Amino acid sequence: GTGRNEGKGWKRFQSYKGEAALPKEAESLRIFVDRKAQTIILPIHGFAVPFHINTIKNVSKNEEGEFTYLRVNFQTPGQLAGKKEDTPFEDPDATFIRSITYRSADGHRFDTLSKQITDLKKEVNKREQQKKEMAD
Amino acid sequence: MTTQFDRIYHGLSPELGKMRIAASGMAWKGEDSDKMVAMSSADIKWAQWLRVARNYQLRVGLKDRSRETFDGFSREDHDKLAQLIKQHFSVTLETKEVSFKGWNWGVTDFQGQDLAFLVSNKTSFELPLSQVANSNIAGRTEVSLEFATPSGSKKSKSAPDEMAEIRFYVPGTVNRDHGSDA
Repeated sequence: GTGRNEGKGWKRFQSYKGEAALPKEAESLRIFVDRKAQTIILPIHGFAVPFHINTIKNVSKNEEGEFTYLRVNFQTPGQLAGKKEDTPFEDPDATFIRSITYRSADGHRFDTLSKQITDLKKEVNKREQQKKEMAD
Repeated sequence: MTTQFDRIYHGLSPELGKMRIAASGMAWKGEDSDKMVAMSSADIKWAQWLRVARNYQLRVGLKDRSRETFDGFSREDHDKLAQLIKQHFSVTLETKEVSFKGWNWGVTDFQGQDLAFLVSNKTSFELPLSQVANSNIAGRTEVSLEFATPSGSKKSKSAPDEMAEIRFYVPGTVNRDHGSDA
C-alpha cells in the first residue's frame, strides 16, 4: 500500500461485542438497520452479518422489471472517493468487501431501507464533523 | 430413547420442523409438508455449532462428504445436543467462532464447498460455491460473484432478501500469490 493513511489513526470500531448482542430482527433473513449499534445487518446465506456504518460508503437502488435491487457500497482503499480518515487501512493486504447487492420484489421496503441507511450515514458523519470542530 | 427439538429449520427453508435424535440417528421432519431428512448413526462424521441469523445452527457432516444444516436452536440447547451427539454417535460437537465486529475487511478462505470470509480469524459468513452463477475479475484487484436467485418470484411480504451479487477488492493478489489466482 501507499502508507499515505498511516499515522492518521483511524478509530477502531465494532458493531457487537459478541453473538448475544445480535438483535432479534436478524432472524428474519432480511436487511435490518440497527441504529443503536450504528450497524446494518445483511443476511448472507443464513448468516446475519453486521456491517458498521463506518464501513459503508453509500447505497444505490434501481429497478429492473418486477424487482428492485439495493446495492450497498463499502469503503475500500484504492477508491477515488477523496480522503476518508475513517477508512480502515489497518491491514492493507486484507480482502475488502466492496459491494453487496440484494434483490426484492418489495420495492417499497427497499426505498425505506435505502433512506434509513442514508440517514444513519448522514447522522454519523455530522456527529464526527461536530467532534472535529470541538477538537479544533 | 428419543430426544426432540421443536421449531427447527432445515437448510435455508422457511419451514419449521421437529428434530429427533436417537441412538439410530437423527431426523428432521417438516411441520407443513411431509419433507423428511434422515441421517443414520453410521453416516454421521462430524458436528458443528455456530451462531447464524436464525439463532444457532447444528451442522452435520456425513460419510458421503455432504452436510446438512439445521437452524433455530437456542443457546441453552448446546450442552444437551453435545451430550446426545457424543453419546449416540461418538462425535464431538465443535464450536465454530463467528465474528460480529462489523468490519468489511478480512481474509477469504476456501473451505470445502464454501468460500468463507474471515474477520480476525473468525467466520463472518460463507458463500456456497455451488450457488455462484457467474464470476468476474476486473482490473486484477476486483472479483465479483453473482448468485443464482430463485426465479419463482414470491411476492410475499415476509420473503427473505436475496443476495444477488458480492464484489471483493483484493489488493494483495498481485504481490502475494497463495495458491488460487482468484
